[in-house]
Amino acid sequence: MKTWNEIASNQPIATRILTNMIERNRLSHAYLIQGQKGTGKKAVSILLAKSFFCKNQIGSEPCHSCKDCVRIDSGNHPDVHHIAPEGASIKKEQIAHLQKEFTYTGLESNQKVYIITEADKMTTNAANRLLKFLEEPSKKTAAILTTENAHAILDTIRSRCQLIALRPLNTNQLELALIEKGLSKENARLFTVLTNDLQAALALDQDDWFAQARKLMVQLIEMLQTNIEEALLFIQKQWLLHFSDREQLKIGLDMLLYWYKDVMYLHIDENDQLVFLSYRENIEKSAMYWSKQDTTAILYAIMEARRHLEQNVHPTLVMEKLTLQMQR
Amino acid sequence: MRFVVQRDLLIESIQHVMKAISSRVTIPILTGIKIEASKDGIKLTGSDSDISIESFIPKEEDGIINVEEIETGSIVVQAKYFPDIIRKLPLKTVEIVTDDQFQVTILSGGSEFHLNGQDAVEYPQLPVLHTDNSFELKNDLLKELIRQTVFAVSTVETRPILTGVNMRLENDQLDFVATDSHRLASRKIPLSTENDQLDFDNIVIPGKSLAELNKIIDDNEETIMISVTENQILFQTKNLYFLSRLLDGNYPETSRLIPDQSKTTVLTKTKELLQAIDRASLLAKENRNNVVKLQTKANNQLEISSNTPEVGQVTEEVTTDTIEGEELKISFSAKYMIDALKIIQEDRVKIEFTGAMRPFIIRPMDNEQILQLILPVRTY
Repeated sequence: MKTWNEIASNQPIATRILTNMIERNRLSHAYLIQGQKGTGKKAVSILLAKSFFCKNQIGSEPCHSCKDCVRIDSGNHPDVHHIAPEGASIKKEQIAHLQKEFTYTGLESNQKVYIITEADKMTTNAANRLLKFLEEPSKKTAAILTTENAHAILDTIRSRCQLIALRPLNTNQLELALIEKGLSKENARLFTVLTNDLQAALALDQDDWFAQARKLMVQLIEMLQTNIEEALLFIQKQWLLHFSDREQLKIGLDMLLYWYKDVMYLHIDENDQLVFLSYRENIEKSAMYWSKQDTTAILYAIMEARRHLEQNVHPTLVMEKLTLQMQR
Repeated sequence: MRFVVQRDLLIESIQHVMKAISSRVTIPILTGIKIEASKDGIKLTGSDSDISIESFIPKEEDGIINVEEIETGSIVVQAKYFPDIIRKLPLKTVEIVTDDQFQVTILSGGSEFHLNGQDAVEYPQLPVLHTDNSFELKNDLLKELIRQTVFAVSTVETRPILTGVNMRLENDQLDFVATDSHRLASRKIPLSTENDQLDFDNIVIPGKSLAELNKIIDDNEETIMISVTENQILFQTKNLYFLSRLLDGNYPETSRLIPDQSKTTVLTKTKELLQAIDRASLLAKENRNNVVKLQTKANNQLEISSNTPEVGQVTEEVTTDTIEGEELKISFSAKYMIDALKIIQEDRVKIEFTGAMRPFIIRPMDNEQILQLILPVRTY
């Protein structure tokens, strides 16, 4: 449970925009909140929802203690509907359910709010269905959509929402906070770029799976440089066993991405930016092996792989293709 | 909260409220039953957010004490386990105690259950009864109203407002109308209330809720109180409250659809016509629209026929009481016709046609309260 004041320290501009709107009673019917992982999209959407229902607001700040606020926090408010991806995407049926819900009167009041998290995961069908009642909302309905990538959302939806962009977190702050918690500088930096979130970073630190994953990643890089023939076998025998679901594989791809970013930093002499500080020697070797052009191509390949993974391409195929692309 | 209650009463109440609880709800708290103890008795609530059912166990009824040792309070218990526990307890009475950590203790004889409950504050707030906007009906009359209209609501969600039954009060007449845009069912009853405050029009009650309500209320002479609030409707019998949300939007104006003059009027026995159409529809079933053809003949004869080339054809002759007006050939859906005739209890019906391409009206003879309207099907 966060207050506007707490959010304001990270997101001063977004907070100003929204609190001003609440105070002047000029809330729009649809918001699209865009920001990277850990930037507080959820907290902002909950606060916005509260501002529609809370009866004891002081200025723009909801009371956080009335029945409405408490139930919005616990997800039990009957007139606030949450939609999140079921599996890999938000399906047509989920939007249909929402639509049905909106043909009924509210349970307690006539105000209704729906929050769609990861709105970019809507299937085209779902998005087009949603469009219909984003366009012509019934009297007191508000939509809050959150996403990490506003450009992955249909133009037609984006143009009907008020866009609230949350700015990326200041990574230095998080890194320092993690070091304060007793993490090594190397780990702190890696976790910071991977998670953007204090709690998640601390969890990764305790995670055996992640330690093993990092080892595998370094092994893969080495194998690509010295023993290319074995690389595909390694993917089959070890990599895919360890990164067994899509979420895990995404972390794996993210690590590869940051590795090659480091290689690039070395090429352009931006040594302060390195993420894998503890593997400096390995990165230098990589930089000798792959030229600047190679690295650029690989970076593109990794990003494409990540996109394919989101689009439900088979993980094995994604990894095999990427491995082939990473060979010089 | 603490109370001791007769177990069979509690079981009965649980059975009532369980009808509203669905396993597929979006709000986690609705998987539970809310139990509320006040100084007058115990109230149980179940809801799937579309409908909510409240069942009340009074502390004392006809001199019999049902609930004892009440300490007020409320809690939400999981509907998955609570009913089975209560049903299988050994004694005739149950003691239920909660603590401030939302732990529920159920005691009966030697058995003792501890269940994790949830804070009742999290449960949706159901509107309190507005006495200004309410009226009374007899149970059996309400059931009749529902039965005679609800079958005609639309089952597709393309026009959500049509999935409900429109309730209207005009000139001391209560009017229920349902339509799926191919047919329309309407039932009027006179309603005299002393209540001048009573004011609503364009209330649309979801067809599903009415069907559910029809199952719950008993078919007897007792009265049921109906109250309309801003966004819900409440049906209240002695110890049972049934709440339903309403459909949002304006119901289409239906009165203009009903033709006020007719070119052909047929007066016939309900049952005979129903059976003839039912038989004719046997072969029509294969057909896409379930279409049967009706034709007027001389000597007050009606011919009902259906022809499916792959299967065969059927012709039914019905002797009617009178046929007045122009000759007529018309096709319509047998299903709609059967639905409409089924709810007419009177022996004779009057059917008024205004041409082969215009909707026609079915009414029981000498009864202006029931009206069924069906759109014909165009055939070539």
